[in-house]
Amino acid sequence: MVDVGKITRLLVEIVGPDRVSDKHFDLIPYGRDLSPAKEKLPTHVVMPKSREEIQEILKIANKHDMPIYIRGGGTSHWDAFLAQEPGIMLDLSFLNAIVEINQRDLTATVQPNCTWAKLDFELRKQGLTYLCSEAGGPAMTIGGSVMKGGGGPHGTAKFGFHGNQDIITLEMILPNGETVETGSAAWPSAGKFKRQCLGPDLAGLFIGAEGILGICTELTLRIRPATDFKERLLATMDRLDKVMEFGHFISRHVGDEYLQGAYLWVDPSAPDVFLLMMDVFGYEREIIEHRKARVIEKVKELGGVFGDSEPANGYFDGILTGLTDIFTTGVWHFFGSGSLRIDDIGIIYKIWREEVIEKRGYTKAGFGGNFLPRDWLAFMVTNYKEPEESEMIMKLADEINELVLSGPVVPYGIGGREGLRSIVEARNTGYYRLLKVIKKAVDPKNILQRGIFIPKEELP
Amino acid sequence: MRIEEYAEMIYACGRCEFCRGFDFNERCPEIFTQNWESSTARGRMLIARALLEGKLEYTEDLAERIFGCFLCARCKEECKKAAQIDIIEITKAMRADFVDHGVKIPEAGNEMAFLATEKGNIFGDSPAFHAKWAEGLEFKRGSGILFYPGCLASHRFKEKTKILVQLLQAAGYDLDFLGDEQTCCGTPLWITGNMAEAKTMVSAQLKKMQDRSVKEVITPCPSCFRAFDEEYPRILGIEKLPIKVRHTSEVLEEIVEKKKIKLKHKVKKRVTYHDPCEIGRYRGIYEPPRKVLEAIPGLEFVEMSRKEAESFCCGGGGGVKLMYPDYSQAVSRERLNDVLATGSEIVSTICPACEMNLTHATYEADAAIRVLDVAELVAVSAGLVDEEILDPYYIPED
Repeated sequence: MVDVGKITRLLVEIVGPDRVSDKHFDLIPYGRDLSPAKEKLPTHVVMPKSREEIQEILKIANKHDMPIYIRGGGTSHWDAFLAQEPGIMLDLSFLNAIVEINQRDLTATVQPNCTWAKLDFELRKQGLTYLCSEAGGPAMTIGGSVMKGGGGPHGTAKFGFHGNQDIITLEMILPNGETVETGSAAWPSAGKFKRQCLGPDLAGLFIGAEGILGICTELTLRIRPATDFKERLLATMDRLDKVMEFGHFISRHVGDEYLQGAYLWVDPSAPDVFLLMMDVFGYEREIIEHRKARVIEKVKELGGVFGDSEPANGYFDGILTGLTDIFTTGVWHFFGSGSLRIDDIGIIYKIWREEVIEKRGYTKAGFGGNFLPRDWLAFMVTNYKEPEESEMIMKLADEINELVLSGPVVPYGIGGREGLRSIVEARNTGYYRLLKVIKKAVDPKNILQRGIFIPKEELP
Repeated sequence: MRIEEYAEMIYACGRCEFCRGFDFNERCPEIFTQNWESSTARGRMLIARALLEGKLEYTEDLAERIFGCFLCARCKEECKKAAQIDIIEITKAMRADFVDHGVKIPEAGNEMAFLATEKGNIFGDSPAFHAKWAEGLEFKRGSGILFYPGCLASHRFKEKTKILVQLLQAAGYDLDFLGDEQTCCGTPLWITGNMAEAKTMVSAQLKKMQDRSVKEVITPCPSCFRAFDEEYPRILGIEKLPIKVRHTSEVLEEIVEKKKIKLKHKVKKRVTYHDPCEIGRYRGIYEPPRKVLEAIPGLEFVEMSRKEAESFCCGGGGGVKLMYPDYSQAVSRERLNDVLATGSEIVSTICPACEMNLTHATYEADAAIRVLDVAELVAVSAGLVDEEILDPYYIPED
């Protein structure tokens, strides 16, 4: 049984009374994420301002067996930061500074809760960008995205998920309070300029681990010049195999260079219409025009039809500021999502069409996908009404997730007991067993994100 | 509970965090001042949900999160592209629920509502003192056009209000004024949740105007403007008030467009404009004051980085100025930074509450910036008032 008052007093000793709360109304907003997962309340929320304060909080957590849950911008799905057990919600909101923008090395160093929007705003003043891929809106944090190994509709066609070499170095606080750095930063007399240089790539250990192995306190990212040109295209195709051929064309024949964003959407009201929104990449007008011409030529060759590109402008321009109208018909939920080979997209599409629409008669979920370099991030997404449809949606999502992940799809985002945790556990792969070994080694008391990714019972 | 009426909206919140923005100081003044997730609109929707589900009760310590909202509608503006939740109405309903349930709210809020109902103005002035600003001015009783300054303009900005009336009269408007009979519009009641007396107060106010054959109300106060134009019909259960209501921003635009007054003197100043939330985001009145400023010869108009629908609150909204003065001052300080970044000598606005809060910020920062109503700049250009009022260190008589 948690002695709430005692833990509050201990936390107050570290950060003062203004950044700790155990008040019910302050905890409630941390009880839900963007999914229909049931409310899970922490016992405390604490907002540290420094790595030293985090280290002190970890001491208390270890001493009193209090799990710590790490909160970024709160825009996650899949039960990914919710308190699976009574514990402390570590709200990193104050760790949101841009530490350095290095124009010579083309790197940006930030604290974890710096938002993508804040960084991009500052980078663009200097003609630079990172081109965040995720579509989580203005509050989406860099640390949150990277720690879950996020990806999305923009940038991924050219650069891949966060973690695909664009994350250069990390500063992590381990559950025992020790601070470690990865990449070139691991060599104290060097600097923050390179990902893979000293032994194994330990950044990869933390990226996508959803915070179970450490608390990120600083990241250095690879940035690049921003292009002055916007050229978006919108087209429809009438068969998925043609979309797949187009994916191969982008990945193989033109070497990932032509598009920095390519998004597929199939509306449940028109399951045979494959809508493609594309963001042509290039630093010079002539290059853009050439690439655009070749994309158009290929799409037309595949029987595609071009339409007004304005929706594509709205879509790609709204990724950091917030996409319009996404919640107008209800709350959102993603399911049946993951990474898969270009040629396998038909399998997940078939599940969507046959299992979701035809067999279960659920006609509100759309099907979508983002082109990655050489593969897809595909998903199903629906608007639904809370609270009356929440349980139905969770049941549907569970069934479809099981079907999709039994196929050639690698899950995206694991989360807690209402995420994909049980599916990962059931596979009991060598990877999973190794992850548990590492978790036990770095976090013997299972303090960080207890119950996220790995069930509590798996880590006695 | 009054929030039951909004249950569908409360459950529609997708928790997207558009309302929170990308930094503490970027859009929401409450998250800027209180920092808690429970200070965001999204947090408030989850709190409202817990209240609806009986998992939480209204308590005295919750009041800071609900009454610390500036009602600036920046979150509501952002939610237009998401779930289209009327966060302002839900927040007002929560405040009213506090009062209905007998839960203690900030004393200054109750005091403001008490003075508005019992004394007729939020400062507790005697009627004669409250109308003192109008000394020396002549009004035309029964003209049909009522000039209604509101509490702040009457009490805090006597000189500004006098200049405004002189300008309107010079432009040919035959103004009536209630004088000692003027009482508060009622806004303090609905922003503090004290709704018990609201209908009685509103009915009496309307009757007073109708008895005086008022056909149109002109007011410089966005809160009074919205009170008459929006809240009165809602409280009285009528579709529209039988009296036309105009804010001075639109009247000044009319004066400039129809050349009702000659702008003959150059105002050689660099001037920016602060959008008051209650005419900006609430009513979409962005262009009229800008058109007026741009019509003033010699005036160099510059925009702040945050403007129009994305404008940052001055800190004067929602009753926070009285209930949590430190939060209010912090927000005005932040807004002053936007002003200073433009290199302006004058920040103009068209709301007494904004003028007061921004003025306090300039005093605190000892900034060489003058805060003026748009009407004052027009009056200088029209030669109705000496240009000494443009001086940053000018001290008004009031």
